[in-house]
Amino acid sequence: MSKMNKKKDKIYRQPLPNRFVHWGIAISIFMLIITGLGQMPLYGRYLIVQPFGTKWLTSYEITLWVHYIFAAILLFFIFYHIVFHVGRKELQLLPKKGDVKGSFLVIKAMLLRQEEPPSEKYLPEQRLTYAYFVFSIGLVVVTGVIKVIKNMMGLQPTNGILLWGAQLHNLATVLIIVGIFLHLAAFIVKANRQLLPGMFTGYVDEKYVKERHSLWYKELKNKDEM
Amino acid sequence: MSNKISRRTFLKRTAAAGLTTGVLLATKKSGYAQTNHAKEEKLVGSIIDLTKCDGCVHKDTPACVLACKEKNKARFPQPEKPLKNYWPQKKHEDWSEEQDRIDRLTPYNWTYVENVEVKKNGVKKTVSVPRRCMHCLDAPCQKLCPFGVISKSEHGAVQIDEFFCMGGAKCRSVCPWEIPQRQAGVGLYMHIAPDLAGGGVMYKCDMCADLLEKGKKPACETACPNGAIEFGPYEEIRKKAYARAEEVGGYVYGDKENSGTLTFYVSDVSFKDINEAILEKKKAENDTRPGRPHMEPEVENMLETAHGYMLATLVAPIAGAAAAGITAYKIMKGEKQQEEKVDEQDE
Repeated sequence: MSKMNKKKDKIYRQPLPNRFVHWGIAISIFMLIITGLGQMPLYGRYLIVQPFGTKWLTSYEITLWVHYIFAAILLFFIFYHIVFHVGRKELQLLPKKGDVKGSFLVIKAMLLRQEEPPSEKYLPEQRLTYAYFVFSIGLVVVTGVIKVIKNMMGLQPTNGILLWGAQLHNLATVLIIVGIFLHLAAFIVKANRQLLPGMFTGYVDEKYVKERHSLWYKELKNKDEM
Repeated sequence: MSNKISRRTFLKRTAAAGLTTGVLLATKKSGYAQTNHAKEEKLVGSIIDLTKCDGCVHKDTPACVLACKEKNKARFPQPEKPLKNYWPQKKHEDWSEEQDRIDRLTPYNWTYVENVEVKKNGVKKTVSVPRRCMHCLDAPCQKLCPFGVISKSEHGAVQIDEFFCMGGAKCRSVCPWEIPQRQAGVGLYMHIAPDLAGGGVMYKCDMCADLLEKGKKPACETACPNGAIEFGPYEEIRKKAYARAEEVGGYVYGDKENSGTLTFYVSDVSFKDINEAILEKKKAENDTRPGRPHMEPEVENMLETAHGYMLATLVAPIAGAAAAGITAYKIMKGEKQQEEKVDEQDE
């Protein structure tokens, strides 16, 4: 296997910067959803019983400031992610032509317990999921930045900006929540669970890579032989 | 993945990615926002001169209140009954059985007169204070509405869209005076999920924006028999308010409060005293229902304290890009050195 990050029967799939970004974005988005819902009139109405330590969620002021803090953290990780991977020319997660058909074939093979078509480091549906998150997170970030700026004192945005900034921010939040559910639902499928250790330790089983990501496996082998 | 990227190429690529996103963010700011100053010449301000207002003591209803009710009655809510509670809460806000109330702000009464007893130079006197929306320059209700359905007219009038308001009442919570009032059983939520979400529609003074549009005066000004209410160009009105305050040896309320509003109260009694009198009166009457605003001097705008956080949000992308650039460069440098080491060993 690779000359670097060697471990017996394991393949190094997710280097530290990838895990750093993944968990950084996951935690900040989780907190942004929690505090963002606090900006809607929700907790005051629906939390009949106030669980211990959640009183702050009913304050528009506190949830707004915490929302800003995690928005800053999210932006940090997003820009880290973009600059890091563009800089290193690591673009394997970007969708390719034929990914819709490829996803269909992989999912069909999974469901019918047939042999999956050979895949690269990322499965076609993973690339599509990435594109989905890029779109929805991108939308939430653009509208979110507009919302941050419009809240500055002395700035008066147009009525249209206020209306569409809010509506699209809300829509993007719904898209992200749906995306997170689908992302987690993917692990209902047993074959996908093999990927889980990759996001914690960085390593996945070599056998798994050989079977499911044969094109990437070949690429790694070739690199080793060079 | 190929690691054979020169340092120059790498730096060029990261700089380009950082610059593009930076420009994107920077243009967002200049592209859509205008300062209040840019629009100031069109803003309409108003003076409410408490030295002239007598609360129309000899009438059943103060003239301004009556004129406001008459002018807006077609827009008053007609809720579908029976009204449902705000599930899972066991309550809802209903003013439909109290449509004639004129002693507070309600969805059926967008201005009212608070009469308070205050002492000036040891002598007791009654001060009549007409209350309504202040039409803030940086209106938290407008900026923080989660659905973006509160707008501003070119004259600066803050208006709630009665057709799209969901009645969550956030506008009331973030308004320092809790001006907008809610009526259940009306509005958009009745067509979506009346049992589960939404609370009605929020109502408040809209500065008679339609009349201003036609170059006419708002109803309250036209109706006032004492000339206590006056609308006009913002800056002109502001100067006039201070001049009048100086003339009566008094005070101005509304210029500094909530970071500036379009309404200027002028009084020869301090607003601290008026505020205390309002609070005491409410306490004595055990009145805890919404719609009788305080008059706390220099009350803060909720958005005023957010600047530090905003700055952090806008600086974060630069920090992220810089951290990524440094990490990527260090990793690539390490990989290159390791490759060279392995190559040397192979040879």
